[in-house]
Amino acid sequence: MSATGTLFDDRRALLGVLGALVAVIALLLFVDLPGSDLVTVGALERALQAATPIALAAIGGLYAEKSGVFNIGLEGFMIFGALIGAAVAWLIAGGGDISQLHLWIAFGAVAVITGVLATLFAVLLIRYEANQIVAGLAVWFIGLGFGPFAATVLWGGVSSPSLPNIDTIAVPVLAEIPVLGRLLFDASPLVLLTIVVTVAAWVVLFRTRYGYWVQAAGENPEALDTAGVDVNRVRYATVIFSGVMAGLGGAVLSIGIGSGFTGTGVTMVDGRGWIAIVAYLFGNYNPLGTYGASLLFGAMDMLQIQLQTIGISLPGSITGLFPYVAVLIVLVGVGYTRVPSAVGESYDTEE
Amino acid sequence: MSDAATGGVRGLADRIADYMLDASVLERIVIAVVATALALLIGSIIVAASGYDAVEFVSSLVYGAVGNVSNLAFMLRQSSMLILTGVAVAVAFRAGVFNIGVQGQFVVGGFAATLGILFAAPVLPQSPLSGVVLMAFATVCALVAGGAYAALPGLMKAYADANEVITTIMLNFIASGVVYFLLDAYLRPEGAAAPNTEQFPDYVGLPSVVFESPSFSILGLGVALVTVVVIYLVMDRTGFGYDLVTSGYQEPAAKYSGVDPQRMIVRTMTISGMIAGLAGALFAIMILGYYSDPNTFPTFGFDAIAVSLLAANNPLGVIPAGLLFGGLDAGGQYIGFTLDVPSELVDGVIGLIVLFVAAPELFRAAGQYTSLGGDRE
Repeated sequence: MSATGTLFDDRRALLGVLGALVAVIALLLFVDLPGSDLVTVGALERALQAATPIALAAIGGLYAEKSGVFNIGLEGFMIFGALIGAAVAWLIAGGGDISQLHLWIAFGAVAVITGVLATLFAVLLIRYEANQIVAGLAVWFIGLGFGPFAATVLWGGVSSPSLPNIDTIAVPVLAEIPVLGRLLFDASPLVLLTIVVTVAAWVVLFRTRYGYWVQAAGENPEALDTAGVDVNRVRYATVIFSGVMAGLGGAVLSIGIGSGFTGTGVTMVDGRGWIAIVAYLFGNYNPLGTYGASLLFGAMDMLQIQLQTIGISLPGSITGLFPYVAVLIVLVGVGYTRVPSAVGESYDTEE
Repeated sequence: MSDAATGGVRGLADRIADYMLDASVLERIVIAVVATALALLIGSIIVAASGYDAVEFVSSLVYGAVGNVSNLAFMLRQSSMLILTGVAVAVAFRAGVFNIGVQGQFVVGGFAATLGILFAAPVLPQSPLSGVVLMAFATVCALVAGGAYAALPGLMKAYADANEVITTIMLNFIASGVVYFLLDAYLRPEGAAAPNTEQFPDYVGLPSVVFESPSFSILGLGVALVTVVVIYLVMDRTGFGYDLVTSGYQEPAAKYSGVDPQRMIVRTMTISGMIAGLAGALFAIMILGYYSDPNTFPTFGFDAIAVSLLAANNPLGVIPAGLLFGGLDAGGQYIGFTLDVPSELVDGVIGLIVLFVAAPELFRAAGQYTSLGGDRE
């Protein structure tokens, strides 16, 4: 991700994200205890995997907020996605062996079903002007309730049995590249797809007419309306997109990289939807910066394994908190990000 | 109300009556009732679609809440917790601060109360009087810890512009993780398998009055109701309460009248966290009698958000809303035991209530569509 400086709107945000990444890696190298390094290819591989669900949800949330709707329900949509992915794969396989084809069909089903749910959510937010924070929290509660409920109906317990996940795919030739080949081209295809989606999201947002509509819907809806574009239609599209992306992020957790749905406690999503919101704030509403921030949080999530390999064994209950602490430090350090000016306000056309 | 001779209680009753007649309050009550009914209806449909008996589901829900004396005691126990945590949420939401961290403040408050009791108990003689002293000391610990743990995201919001919805959720995770770690590493008695502290001395606890329940005392409900009244009076009758409410609804006006918005955020969060901490102390003393892994605790702090929203963030409204949710909770656990309908279903129904309450326009539109006019359903 070098030479992307000019692509950033805000150089400061770029420096912030990259600085934090470098600081983390340097810190890890600095703790050069007997044993092996903290930063290994394996560690980066795990960080990329952990970043994938966060980045998907974050890019969706970014689009919604850019268009003026704060989708605080990302966490809830991730729970729906995780459950639906596991449930569909299990159901179409008839409870038998789940093939790769079944898993990819399940991903498609997640996109469709979370799209329908997100449409209902968008109608409440846009047509019926629901309070965005409260309605978003409600989506989380509904996910926390109906997710484990549906799992119990299907599997007799709040978690699914162990399920297979998407196989690693080696891209010919490219997989031979040292380090990068193993990280991206001999890995879960979802990692590479997410990077492609990230770049595509950047191009659409900053280089296409549709992207300008999205930005205008959040910054100056009146002007967009005057130009003859239906503000609410743009917002419907982004909110539905954000729900689908968060749903896919959840499905990555359950059947993409993980091994089934876990519904105990706050479910397997475990705050990643909230972290995704911070990721796009930290990335200053830029898809590329957002991916960088997701990678930082993903690395934090995987730090426990690295610490163990070098012989520092902190209890899991403490190392599991690293991403949350990182979020707090980021929010306090970055402080105010320039929120699109019309976020949270419903838009009514004149006349 | 103009009559100066009317006593405090009478004045309060008059005010409540005035409120009831206020059209917007009536509208909110209608919205709350319709939202609850609609969510239960959807819940029943989902129950039926999942192959269970929907009629049995609803009747068991009611029986589980108020069907017999022990169910009623359990419901009131849950209601006491939800009323306390609900007021904690309401104070913050009223001031326009979204404290989603009541669960974490509750966990930290209960933990502080536990530490207070476990460390102070050996230095006091074993007597009922010591029990009262210990509980008072534990309550102070809980108030301080809960308040401090809420002041932290308050400071982050006030002085670093960090979104409190996100910081408080992160602090919830951190509270559960750290408390679990401390319990597991330092407070678990030798050889015990479960991450629980040792039991509190048996003279620490609220006496069973009216209800013969080991984990519910009517005094607990009393604590919750007294807290509601105190908070109501503070918000309604004091200059501080006025500033707090205007900060939420009319920030420029509050600023103009000399309120420092930053300090107001921190103070609001601190008060909210203190009430959450008090709920934690009540949970540790009345319900548990020891302390345990917070990840296994009921999510009173989250359900409290629904309670407060259903009450339109009005402290007095929290009482009926808390009773309703206590009933739903008790009924939900009952159906979990007896019908094999997973009790998580009730969490989903609570989520639906929140969703509907968030969109009052939905009901206005429905009212107009059915040509019943205005705010009627």
